Amino acid sequence: MKQSEGKIGIRELIAIILLSVGTKLTDDTPSILFSTANNSSWMSMLLIGIMSIIPVFFLLKVFSVHRGKNLHEVNIHLFGKVVGNIISFGVLLYGFAALVLDSATYADIISTMYFTKTPFLPIYLLLLIVCGYGAKRGIEQIGATAWLTLFYLKITLFLAFLISFLQGEFKMIYPLWGPGVGEIVKTAGRNLSIFADFYYLGLIAPLVSTYKSFKKGTLLAYLIVAIELVIPLIIFVMVFDFTSIEIMKYPYHEMILYISIGFLTNVETIFLPFWLIATFIRFAFYLYLVVLLFGGIFKIKEFEYLIPVMVVLVLFAGLAPQYGVFTISHLRELLLTSLSPIFFGLPCLMLFIAKVKGDFKNESSKESY
Amino acid sequence: MFKLLKNIAGRKNKLKPGQSKNTLAKQNCQKKQSVSAHIDENIDLMKEIYQIPHNRDVKIRELKIGGLSKKAAIFFISSITDVQSVEESAIKPLLANTRGDAGIDEIIATQNVTAFLDIKDLVENINQGNAVIFLDGSTKAFVFECANFQGRSVEKAESEVLIKGSKEALTEKVIVNLSLIRKRIKNEDLIAESMTISKRSHNVVYILYIRNLADEKLVANVKKRLASLNVDAIQNLSLLEQYIEDRRLSLFPSLLYTERPDRATSFLEDGHIVLLMDNSPDSIVLPATFWSFFHTAEEHYLRFIFGNFVRVIRMVAMFITIFISAIYISVTTFHTEMIPADLLLAIAGTREKVPFPIFFEILIMEVAFELIREAGLRVPNPMGPTIGIVGALILGQAAVEANIISPIVIIVVALSGLTSFTISDISLNFALRVIRFLFILSAGVFGIYGMSALFIMGLFYLVSLKSFGVPYLAPMSPHYVSSGDTIFRRVITHENFRPGYLKPADIKKKGDGAAK
Repeated sequence: MKQSEGKIGIRELIAIILLSVGTKLTDDTPSILFSTANNSSWMSMLLIGIMSIIPVFFLLKVFSVHRGKNLHEVNIHLFGKVVGNIISFGVLLYGFAALVLDSATYADIISTMYFTKTPFLPIYLLLLIVCGYGAKRGIEQIGATAWLTLFYLKITLFLAFLISFLQGEFKMIYPLWGPGVGEIVKTAGRNLSIFADFYYLGLIAPLVSTYKSFKKGTLLAYLIVAIELVIPLIIFVMVFDFTSIEIMKYPYHEMILYISIGFLTNVETIFLPFWLIATFIRFAFYLYLVVLLFGGIFKIKEFEYLIPVMVVLVLFAGLAPQYGVFTISHLRELLLTSLSPIFFGLPCLMLFIAKVKGDFKNESSKESY
Repeated sequence: MFKLLKNIAGRKNKLKPGQSKNTLAKQNCQKKQSVSAHIDENIDLMKEIYQIPHNRDVKIRELKIGGLSKKAAIFFISSITDVQSVEESAIKPLLANTRGDAGIDEIIATQNVTAFLDIKDLVENINQGNAVIFLDGSTKAFVFECANFQGRSVEKAESEVLIKGSKEALTEKVIVNLSLIRKRIKNEDLIAESMTISKRSHNVVYILYIRNLADEKLVANVKKRLASLNVDAIQNLSLLEQYIEDRRLSLFPSLLYTERPDRATSFLEDGHIVLLMDNSPDSIVLPATFWSFFHTAEEHYLRFIFGNFVRVIRMVAMFITIFISAIYISVTTFHTEMIPADLLLAIAGTREKVPFPIFFEILIMEVAFELIREAGLRVPNPMGPTIGIVGALILGQAAVEANIISPIVIIVVALSGLTSFTISDISLNFALRVIRFLFILSAGVFGIYGMSALFIMGLFYLVSLKSFGVPYLAPMSPHYVSSGDTIFRRVITHENFRPGYLKPADIKKKGDGAAK
């Protein structure tokens, strides 16, 4: 009721997180996990979910004393102007790389799984134009759209997995420990950055109506997303068994190709539009984040006008590794692996510096007044 | 040759386009006088202003008041005045007067007599159907109300038809409309402010709101927007709507247009503002959200389950209207594997002799449907149904037999056309019809992918729309306290709140458990 201009509420925040992190199970993220942790990937995922709570919690802690500041401003405050800008720039580069690789992956899914005769370029171009349009509208609109569609997207996703669960074979999840505990832990450590989106959420922290709803929304969404990412990994194994799942590129799409509902034997086109909508919202949000951070670092107030430029940049960067799907997926793995320690370490460092600087003391004394 | 030169010379004297003589200023200047003590001067001035006797229906009755033994003159426009009342309650008593010390207001037997000093006010009153009395030796002129504009009586609603609920519709007379609304809200806080919005025709708009409910800022905003208009004439609300809406090029309407007094009333009671005008058999409700276009009054008159059943039907219908043709195109062109084999064979069989691609086939039929629809609307009444039957049945049948269209396309297009009628709001109806074509195009280019892209872009656009500061899809997103009347409605005893996006002064409209 007290919603002010340009801000989003807790509902919109949760919806954005659920769509941007939740859709990861429909791209090649599962296959990256499956390639090393085999049929026990869900345990790795569970481990990632449990471990990632630490940086997320630290980050929330830092933001609790820096209300009204976004991630970049907090970086500047904590690390000083030079180091802070360097760190933010690094974060920007990672964000940009993730945006390029992820969007190229999604365009690749569309072109290899559904539009096999259409060239890659128009598909990618349309994806980016739509996302650019969404990002241009602003965070409020992205949030509202995410919230409006969330229910329908999740219902269809749930339906797809329910049907797969019923048509799958539960015994296939054995042997429970797969390649062994060591490999499971290693996979988890390498791919911790699946939850790195939560780090980037710091960028929109001041755009959420209150800190309380930011904290509550983030934690609630975290819980839902963690569950949402673990269970499908079990179901993928139940449907395909571990040998075939390791060579599969996009298990979710293979799965909806595989299942059937009653007299409809090919149902993937029913699920496709919902998945596409989630995709559009996700990349609109990513694009918005990257441009927001870019505008923050280079002090550009009206950063919305950078979006067309950014779309063109992403387009060319995304087209470059188009000579083989494997390049993109290889780069993506590299990105995930290298981002993992940063995602884990940076919030810890931030909290540490904030403690040393005595930010928390001020806060507690303020509150006691 | 001379003609040409003359033309060139003549053109110089003429005004350039865009540079006009300001006749309005001259007209105003003439009226900027006060009433003279000499009645003959007044009469001459009025005769000049109204161009008597060229203006045939402006009447002037000069007489001498018996008791006062003074000259008097009554001005009125006979076509918009109740002549009988002028005769009975003004002319007759004036002539019959015998008392020497009586004032005009003591002689005349009308509901009110007001004195004015300026000619401008008098002219305004005469234009509104009132009569003016000049009295010799007085610098005041007296006005009494006797307006009687012609118009139809209250009739049945025609475009928003209900089975259960009141049948009356607003008419072209604003006084009647006000009466219909006041009949439903017997509260002194229902304010009906009036405002003149045009410079020449002096069209008056009435701003209705409930004083201690509607947000004062909103009321001020609406008044400001109305006051900022600089137009010679705005005849009715349909035109006014286009002047005051937020985005004039938008596909989606941002002001609700309703001909039902009961609907306008229920919006007033929620804290909305209603505009009324003469010459408009309807009212404008603002701010309006998407849901107000989607709803009709009947869903609240029907019982809970039936009302929501209607909503489901309408939602499905809306979906079919927008998507079915586009889905047919994309499924048959891009995603054929989706259709069960038997059906696919059947479709292929019927399309065997059709020479066009499916996209083109659908487009032909959709355009034909729009043509029939527009023609059916414009043909003179007695021929209407005939055209419909010829258009729909014979044309469709013949097109199939001539192998131009496959029968399944007829089904698809007929469905999409018929279902569009479930949306009763004309603006939203038009919007959907246009959107349908956009989806057909996008499906033709990119199948389901193109449709999804267009859909999400439309949604991004919809959520960024605002009507007088209210988000278009509120209260669904962004969230506000409200009775949750969006796709579905709640049980009536649980609809406790006024919509929060209007920032009403009193958010609660019912006690908890309104009926025990």
